[in-house]
Amino acid sequence: MNNNTIILGIGNIGRKDDGLGWLFLDYLKKNKFENIDVEYRYQLQIEDAELICNYDTVIFVDAVKANIEEGFYFKECKPSSKYGFSTHELVPETVLHLANELYQHDLKAHIFGIQGYEWDLEIGLSKKAKINFTKAKKYFNTIRPSLEVKL
Amino acid sequence: MTKSQKMNKIVIDPVTRVEGHGKVTIHLDEKNRVKDSFFHVVEFRGFERFIQGHPYWEAPVLVQRLCGICPVSHHLAAAKAIDQIIGLEPEDLSIPTQKIRKLLHFGQIFQSHALHFFYLASPDLLFGFDAAPTKRNVVGVAMDYPELAKKGILMRKFGQEIIKMIAGKRIHGISASPGGVQKKVSVKERDYFLNGKDIPSIDTMIEWSKEIIDFIKVYHSKNLKWLNEFAAYPSGHLGLVNKKNGFLELYDGNLRAIDADGNITLNDISNDDYQQYFYEGVEKWSYLKFPYLKHLGREKGWNRVGPLARLNVCDGISTPLAAFERLAFMAASYEKTNNKTMFSHWARLIEILHCAEMMKELLEDDDILSTDLNRRGERRNEGIGIIEAPRGTLIHHYEVDDKDRITRCNLIVSTTHNNEPMNQAVSWVANNVMNGEAKITESMMNQVEVAIRAYDPCLSCATHAIGQMPLEISMYDHFGNLIDLKRS
Repeated sequence: MNNNTIILGIGNIGRKDDGLGWLFLDYLKKNKFENIDVEYRYQLQIEDAELICNYDTVIFVDAVKANIEEGFYFKECKPSSKYGFSTHELVPETVLHLANELYQHDLKAHIFGIQGYEWDLEIGLSKKAKINFTKAKKYFNTIRPSLEVKL
Repeated sequence: MTKSQKMNKIVIDPVTRVEGHGKVTIHLDEKNRVKDSFFHVVEFRGFERFIQGHPYWEAPVLVQRLCGICPVSHHLAAAKAIDQIIGLEPEDLSIPTQKIRKLLHFGQIFQSHALHFFYLASPDLLFGFDAAPTKRNVVGVAMDYPELAKKGILMRKFGQEIIKMIAGKRIHGISASPGGVQKKVSVKERDYFLNGKDIPSIDTMIEWSKEIIDFIKVYHSKNLKWLNEFAAYPSGHLGLVNKKNGFLELYDGNLRAIDADGNITLNDISNDDYQQYFYEGVEKWSYLKFPYLKHLGREKGWNRVGPLARLNVCDGISTPLAAFERLAFMAASYEKTNNKTMFSHWARLIEILHCAEMMKELLEDDDILSTDLNRRGERRNEGIGIIEAPRGTLIHHYEVDDKDRITRCNLIVSTTHNNEPMNQAVSWVANNVMNGEAKITESMMNQVEVAIRAYDPCLSCATHAIGQMPLEISMYDHFGNLIDLKRS
C-alpha cells in the first residue's frame, strides 16, 4: 500500500444498477488512476475498518436508491455507531467509527452515491443510471486534485 | 392457523445476526401456553434447477455463488464431485493439489468461524440476553472489548488472505479445476503468512486461538448452569471422520452418525453411498428441507451437524493443541455425547485452533510449491463430493450426460441438516422461556435468536436468499387478530 487514498466500491455487478460502485472502480483502473488503491465489495465488513487505517482518505462508492436531484452526491462521511441487523448491513459510517475507536485512526472519508433505478438479476446499467454514472465520473475528475492524492 | 383454533401467534421476523433471513412463529393457546413453534425459512433457492444444462466443469464456479460467507466450501465440494466425473477419487489427485485444496479449506473454516464467534455470537455471551440491542452487537464488542475485537478482525483477515492467495479473491475466487488446482503457491506468497512482517503470522494465529479458547473455558466455568441447560435436547450427530483412524476430518472422510447416547447410527459409510441412507422430508411451511437417516425414520433420524456434532462423532483430533483442548471439552461433557447447544461455541473455537495448526503444517510443507497439480482419469456420468463446511456436512451430487451437460443436481447443505435441530432449539426456548407469557419481551426474542445463532445458520446458503432484511415482530391474539407489530 503505497498510496494514501483508497476507494471501496460496494455492490453487485450481477444486479443491474447495484453494479455502479464496481463499475466506477473499473473506470478508475481503465483510466490508470494508479495512485489510488481500489477494493471491490459486495458489502462492507468489520475488517474494512482495519484496512482503511492504512490510508489518509477513503471514499465509499455505492449505488443509491433514493432520489438525488443531480443523479449523484459526494458528501463527507462522519463516524457513527449505528449498527444494522447483520454483517450484511454494515454502513460506511460504522466502519469509520470502528477505525476511529479501535485503531485511533482519523482519516478523511467521503461517500460517493450514484442513483440507480433497477436491481434485477441482470448485468448492465439502466439508461438513467448510465446518465448518472457519466455525470459522476465527470464530477470526480474535477475534484480529484483536491483529494490530496499522492502523485 | 385458523381463528377457530383460538391460538395466539407471535412472529419474530427475521432472526438477526444470522446469515440470511428466517422467521419464527410461536403458537399459543387461550392461556398463552406454547402449543407449537416453527422456524421458517421463507426464501426460495433454485440452484439445483438452474445449474442443469451447464457443462459440468462450470459447477464449482457457479455453485459457490450460493453464498458470500462460505463459497469455498461449495467450490470444493463441487470440485470433489467433478473430480469423480473425470474419473478421480480424492486420493487420486496429486499430493500438492490435495494439500493446496486443504489449505484453502482450512483458511475458509478459520475465517468463517472467526466471523461467527467474534461478530455474531460474542455479543450474546459478553452482554447477555437483557442488554439493549444497540449494545448487543459487534460494535458494542468493539467499544467495550477492543483488544478482543481487533484480534477477531485480524483472525478473519488471515483466513481471507489464505483464500485470496490460493483462489485469487477473498470471495468467489477460483482455485479448483477438474482434477487439480489453478496455481501453486509461491515462496513469497507463503512467507507472507509465516514471517509476520505484513500481517500477524500463523504462529500468532495459533496463540490467539488458544487465548480465545481459554476465554470460553473461563466463561463456561462462570456460567455453567445456563450453558448446560439452555436449548439442550437429545439429538443425533453427523459428521465426516478420517477413513483410517476416525479422527476429526474436515476435507475428506467417511460419514459417521451417532445418537444422543453415543451409539453408532451410521457406521463410517463411503461418500458414494450417502443416497442409500439419507432422505429429505418437506414441510409446507418452509422452503428448507429436513434430511434424516432412512433407517431411523423422520422422527428419530435427524442429526445436528457442525462443530458440536463433529467433536461428538470423532475419535480424536490429529493436531496436538486442538487434541488437548478436545480432552478438556470432553471432560466438561462428562465424557458423554454432548447435546448442549451452547457448547457449540466452545467446539467451534477448538476447530479454529485445529485449522490454525493445520494451516501452519501445510504452509511449512514444500509440496504446496510444486507444479505437479493435475490428474486425469476415466470419464463417468456421476459425481459426489462431501465436505465439512464451517456449519456442517455439505453434500454435492451431480449427474451429467454424454455431452458433458449437468442433468441433475442435488445439494444438501449444512443448514439443511440443522433445520430440525434449530426447530428443536426454538421449541426449547418457547416452552421454557415464553410459556404462559402474554407479551414477548426483547430478552425473550433474543433468547430465540441465541438458540438459532448457535448453529451459525446460513439461510441464504440453504435457500439462496435475495432481498432486504427488515426486523419485524407481529403478535396475534387468540382470535388471530394482529395486536402488536414492531419493525426496526
